[in-house]
Amino acid sequence: MRLPEIDRGDSLGNRLLIGFISRVSGMRLPDAARVAFYHKAFFSAPMGAWTQRTMRGDSEWSVGERELMAALVAKWNSCPFCVGAHGAIAARILPRATVDAALADFEAADLSQKLKATLIFLEKLTLRPDQVTAADARVVYGSGVSRAALTDGVAVASVFAIITRYANALDFAMPTPAEFDKAGAMLLKRGYA
Amino acid sequence: MDAAVTSHAELAETLRRRVLDGPGETPAALRQMAAKAATGGAADGPAGTLARQIGQASYAVSDAEVAAVRTQTGSERAAFEIVAAAAMGAGLLRWQQGLAAIEEAGDAAP
Repeated sequence: MRLPEIDRGDSLGNRLLIGFISRVSGMRLPDAARVAFYHKAFFSAPMGAWTQRTMRGDSEWSVGERELMAALVAKWNSCPFCVGAHGAIAARILPRATVDAALADFEAADLSQKLKATLIFLEKLTLRPDQVTAADARVVYGSGVSRAALTDGVAVASVFAIITRYANALDFAMPTPAEFDKAGAMLLKRGYA
Repeated sequence: MDAAVTSHAELAETLRRRVLDGPGETPAALRQMAAKAATGGAADGPAGTLARQIGQASYAVSDAEVAAVRTQTGSERAAFEIVAAAAMGAGLLRWQQGLAAIEEAGDAAP
């Protein structure tokens, strides 16, 4: 963590809360959660609201599919923390082998054609946003994806364009696979807001 | 505009306004510069250099780049505002580009 104040907590209440959650959970509270407590009114509150809507709100995509999209956006943005965190959440819903195969090569993985077509769009949006066109959207629609579902996918890619960047810039510490799994269970239960 | 777009768009706009126009440790103009630098705009000083790196290749951000912004802005809280503004600028560009493609495709959806 490149800003130690985020690690420690920026108020006595937050320092006590970070310590309490770490003790109860039996693991160091991940840096993503520490950011969520930091300078909250400025960033974490409005960011958390959009993330919660995107990842847990009504959608034609399941929570597992959205978490897999997030893990892939993290891969495209070279963010190992977010690949680990969101791959672990996806794997609590989808088969671990499916998640691993998708992270290796999503076009060859056992995923629906709708999800694959959407992921092709999201990969381009992530890496070459100025080249995304209506023709790309029409290709996704051709696989049976609705306008609302594509919009929800674009929101996942946009939210994780933000999260992966601050995770990398702040140099989030990497939990172990077991810790990611435990933290994933907490995020599934409690959400992002 | 359909309901899904409306709810995402409102939440994205609330985030944008709070980070770029709301009160903070840093001047709003510095945060606005950081958000633009992350998407190819002019990059001024250490904050601009860090923001551009966050936009282009956040995995390559260095300790020195973050430390320089901490020194420039005077506090960790202020440096965090620059990191958040830059990351958000890159994310909202993708939201706008994706939404524009969807709007332009019109009623082609099933």
